[in-house]
Amino acid sequence: MKIRFSSAALLLFFAVTLAFFSVSAPRFATASTVENLMSGYAFVAILAMGQAWPILVRGIDLSIGAIVGLVGMIVFDLSLIFSVPGYVILPLALLAGALAGALNGVLIVYLHLQPFIATLATLAAYRGLTYSISGRQLVPGLTTTPIRDPWITGIETYFDLGGSIGLSRLINMPWFPLSFFIMLAVFALLQVLLLATRFGRDTCATGGNAEAARLAGIRVGAVTIAAYAISGICAAIAALIMVARFTTATEALGSGAELTAIAAAVIGGVSLAGGVGSMFGPAIGAFLLGAILIGLTLQGVPQFVQQIITGVILLAAVGYDRLLVLRRQRKLETAATGAGR
Amino acid sequence: MKPTNDRRDFLKAMALGSAAVAGAAAGVLAAPGREAGVIGVPAARAQDRYKMAFIQWQPHTVPAAWSKGIEEVLKPQQVIDYELLDGQNKVEVQVSLMDTLVSQGASVIFLQPIDSVALAPSIAKAKRSGVSVITLNIDATEPHAAHVEMNHYYGAMDIAKAMGDAMGGKGKVAILNAPPGIIIRDQRTNGFVEGMKAHHPGIEIVADQVADWDRKKAQDVLNTILAAHPDLGGAYGVNDSMALGAVDVAKEKGLLGKFVVFGNDGETAALESIEAGELTGTQYTDVYQQGRLAAAAATVLATGAVNASAFGQQSRLLMPYLIATKDNVGTIQASQRW
Repeated sequence: MKIRFSSAALLLFFAVTLAFFSVSAPRFATASTVENLMSGYAFVAILAMGQAWPILVRGIDLSIGAIVGLVGMIVFDLSLIFSVPGYVILPLALLAGALAGALNGVLIVYLHLQPFIATLATLAAYRGLTYSISGRQLVPGLTTTPIRDPWITGIETYFDLGGSIGLSRLINMPWFPLSFFIMLAVFALLQVLLLATRFGRDTCATGGNAEAARLAGIRVGAVTIAAYAISGICAAIAALIMVARFTTATEALGSGAELTAIAAAVIGGVSLAGGVGSMFGPAIGAFLLGAILIGLTLQGVPQFVQQIITGVILLAAVGYDRLLVLRRQRKLETAATGAGR
Repeated sequence: MKPTNDRRDFLKAMALGSAAVAGAAAGVLAAPGREAGVIGVPAARAQDRYKMAFIQWQPHTVPAAWSKGIEEVLKPQQVIDYELLDGQNKVEVQVSLMDTLVSQGASVIFLQPIDSVALAPSIAKAKRSGVSVITLNIDATEPHAAHVEMNHYYGAMDIAKAMGDAMGGKGKVAILNAPPGIIIRDQRTNGFVEGMKAHHPGIEIVADQVADWDRKKAQDVLNTILAAHPDLGGAYGVNDSMALGAVDVAKEKGLLGKFVVFGNDGETAALESIEAGELTGTQYTDVYQQGRLAAAAATVLATGAVNASAFGQQSRLLMPYLIATKDNVGTIQASQRW
């Protein structure tokens, strides 16, 4: 019930934000702004949904930005140096992301590292690896060579849905980027995984109380590794979308993306205390952050002020999360004392 | 890149720049009427106010000075709204800002692209929407209205020549470099290496290490290099911040006067260091002027006083520069220092 309530509250806040900017920011309520929001933040939403999984098992994944960079560079090298066809590159990219994510999980489970420390270490390592395998430096001339493989650049395609169903005759409809539909597909898959499968329940149980989950026969280690692998796969999908959008990969691709993703996930109601969250929240959280940044830019608000506002919203979200956790604990305590009597 | 072509482009851009300034003086630009639409500017552009913005890479003295130069030209015209936007060192932020400006109906976008290829699709999109893009310092693979650049390659060759002269044509030098993956890093490095080969084959480049454009980092890196090469005779910082970091080290080790340090950019701190007899020299570019020229071109493009097709292919302006040393640094006026 709590989850549903916070999702509704988030959706309401999102709607109010859109309404506010539609009235106050020039040219916000236009088809092109909606298009920019979809194409510019679909990958952020995917990163946020991926990030939700490590947070669900009471961890955090600081390395996703670095995984984006690493996968981006792998795609770059495979396509431009080795001329590997795109349909081979796509699964390899997802595999690389899954492995990079799973390694985070392995470090946490088998070396008993704090998730923060483990993924901070891999953040540095993956970024360093990205620089060392960079085809931009290994092969002169590639810095100015775009990726032209249609399997990859095809990800950056736009569909005139409004035109095809005839809505465009009534209002000016945005063209929908393929990345937005990829985001919807990822959302549907992960939502089903979280709510309708045993693995999803095990993930929440592990994050809620790992010891209790272990005693209940859940393979906590495997669940944790899988959660980080999902985060890695999402980072790989985001990397593919970005590489398609930019027609290249840079060594710094995705740097800092982890912070935006964590912010979107937390704003989306994924509890930092673990065990509570949805896929809907992080996705909306990402588009909310996007709408705020675009709206404020259109209003001419300086960017450092935008960052302050983003920070304040994040603080409010964390505070709200903390409040819910405390309330849950109090309820458990009263239930326990009530039972003891 | 043929020098003759560069020179022709330089002259063309200078001519257009002067045309804009002359136009402004004649009051043509101050009152762009509805008729602007009939000389080739899209009707939607025939408006009372024009929007322009500069998307910088990240905050630094150079883009700050460009922005000041741009504002100097745009502000007096009173019909142009201008703002400085920050790319936050992220390609995706720059792309998103480009999208926002295009949907906002900007007339001209000044852009310091983080990457030549990554911003190309955005530039293509802007062009389709009738928005002119002028790049500063880093060119894009997608042809666009104009590109105004510091003369990185040839400037670095001249730095090598001046540095070799100061070292008497022999000895060991180190390069304090930027992180890889950026075109201007390659131009400033390759120009230096080629320049040394051409003018001072007796000088050996014994180290080329990354110091992240940063003064503090450059101190640490140079200390490490000095440990390996105690007989190092000089250091070249790919930007002034790193060169000033090398000066700090030389000061600390009592090498001042013996250790030759050259920078690149020509910011005020570097010029003052040269005057104080610490930094040996730097490549100075009048960055305000670079911004003014870009803004002049932007004005003619936006108001339609000159049709965009007058630019033909993308015009390219390489800024003149001065290798500033103790002998000539005094010729750089206070108003030219940034």
